[in-house]
Amino acid sequence: MDTEALMKILAELRPDVDFEENKELVDSGELDSFDIVSLVGELCDAYDIEIGADDIVPENFNSVEAICALITRLQED
Amino acid sequence: MAFTSFRFVVFLAVSAALYFLTPKRCRWVTLFVVNYVFYFLAGGRYFVYLLATTLTTYLAAVMLGNMASKNKTAFAEAKAGLDKEGRKAWKAAFARKKRFVLVPALLLNFGILSILKYSGFVCNNLNALFARLGVGGELPIFRFLLPLGISFYTFQSMGYLIDVYREKVEPERNLAKLALFISFFPQIVQGPIGRFNTLAEQLFRPNEFSYTRVKFGVQLMLWGAFKKMVIADRVAVMVDNIFGFPETLGGCYVAVAALGYCIQIYGDFSGGIDIATGAAQIFGITLDKNFERPYLATSIPDFWRRWHITLGAWFRDYVFYPLSLSKFFQKLGKAGRRVFGNYIGKLLPVLIPQFIIFFLIGIWHGAEWKYIAFGVYNGTLIVLGILFEQPLKNLAKRLGIRMECFSWRVFQVLRTLVLVALGKIITRAPGVSASVYMIRSMVENWDTNIFWEGGMLKLGLDEKDLWILFLSCCALLTVSLLQESGVKIRETLAKQNLYFRWAVYLGAVFSLVLFGVYGLNYDASDFIYRGF
Repeated sequence: MDTEALMKILAELRPDVDFEENKELVDSGELDSFDIVSLVGELCDAYDIEIGADDIVPENFNSVEAICALITRLQED
Repeated sequence: MAFTSFRFVVFLAVSAALYFLTPKRCRWVTLFVVNYVFYFLAGGRYFVYLLATTLTTYLAAVMLGNMASKNKTAFAEAKAGLDKEGRKAWKAAFARKKRFVLVPALLLNFGILSILKYSGFVCNNLNALFARLGVGGELPIFRFLLPLGISFYTFQSMGYLIDVYREKVEPERNLAKLALFISFFPQIVQGPIGRFNTLAEQLFRPNEFSYTRVKFGVQLMLWGAFKKMVIADRVAVMVDNIFGFPETLGGCYVAVAALGYCIQIYGDFSGGIDIATGAAQIFGITLDKNFERPYLATSIPDFWRRWHITLGAWFRDYVFYPLSLSKFFQKLGKAGRRVFGNYIGKLLPVLIPQFIIFFLIGIWHGAEWKYIAFGVYNGTLIVLGILFEQPLKNLAKRLGIRMECFSWRVFQVLRTLVLVALGKIITRAPGVSASVYMIRSMVENWDTNIFWEGGMLKLGLDEKDLWILFLSCCALLTVSLLQESGVKIRETLAKQNLYFRWAVYLGAVFSLVLFGVYGLNYDASDFIYRGF
């Protein structure tokens, strides 16, 4: 999948967050529920996937790798 | 059986002894029996409601679990022949099927809660409306006493059911084990609202006795009792006196009452939660955190992330996300971008569900207009806070205000405290109009007699009580600031020498015995959140 596009979305959403280094984006409180909702909207549009409330767990959004894995899984499903 | 009563202490000690004396594989059974004895002693008449919730949750969860395993097998067989759209359609059809089980269970359980809690309020208001419109007839008004902890155990069990529906947890197939999860006695009275994936395993496993854990549990319980009996119940005397006479005591009296009520409700609720958490810790069970020094919050959203955390998390996971990620709100967001531009359009799927959540949180607190007003007040503050966050940051930058410094943080904390205190006036005043009157009088009347002419001494507390209250609040603030800077109080205390440790333990016990509010009309069972 296109990681560059994902990094661009993340950087636009929260330019103040170091997405490459932080592996606890949700657990550390860096991303809150408002960010998650905005991010989900962007991801659904960019990758033509459907992210439901069931997928909103910290493990799916704690790092760029986790977000990539979620997108890949939903694209394959 | 109040958490601060001698009966509760005895009950807890006997339960813990029985638990650790039971053979390991049966310990969960002892805990289950103990829970039901506690609930029976606390309000045996209402047992039927707890049983109804347990049974319906059990049946619905098992049905959902069976459906999920059948679907898994069928989907694995059919998957190869389906394209992406086909797989999507399969999943959507299965979700619809599962909703036929989930929705009736939710309706039934939230229906019981709603009828018991809100039917009187709704009928009263409808009757008033009929009378005003000149429509004949009157709805009968039933007054129900709320079963102990119904708001808490309903939310906990429905959270579990939704998790099973979402296939995040496996359904519990042992009815007694599910009953144990729903009725764990330290938390059933006023929370924290537990999650199955973190709490259940701790309840079902055979926990070993640990002296350190029991010691930490008892320490936390003492601290909770201190917050409740020395601080909250003492300041309550003053608060009750001012809120009891909103028309005669205005101006600075209202400000003192608002601050006092902030202290009271925090001491009362977080004290009760500390007792519950400490009691659970004795059994080797860690409950979810419910408070994180809320009055050190720097904004209203931050306050709600620190206050009654488990309720906020429940609404976030089971109401906010499903609403804001629903097709309707996502479409609304896209339409909003076209009409209002990117900034507001992006925020719409967040703002409206957020407002709905706070409206619901307001109603959750009780069936009165003042709680609805409280929900609307908080929802409005949150929405305005989100909308103006960026513009205000830009303004501060333009004015050259440094935002990364201590003084700005102090300003943010005080500003948040004032906004929270105004909200507390709404919930504590006898009604909405009284709260409006009190807030107006605080702004218009600058009479400061309360501070200079012995006004504080006319509110039910003598000079000694005021000093105890002041020093106790200083102790509470000191502990909060230490915790905020990362100090673990109990672990730090454990590292001190024997004499110092015991001086602290004995000091805590004596302060409870000597300074805890007792008296003829004193009722320690009145934990405020117990009524919610």
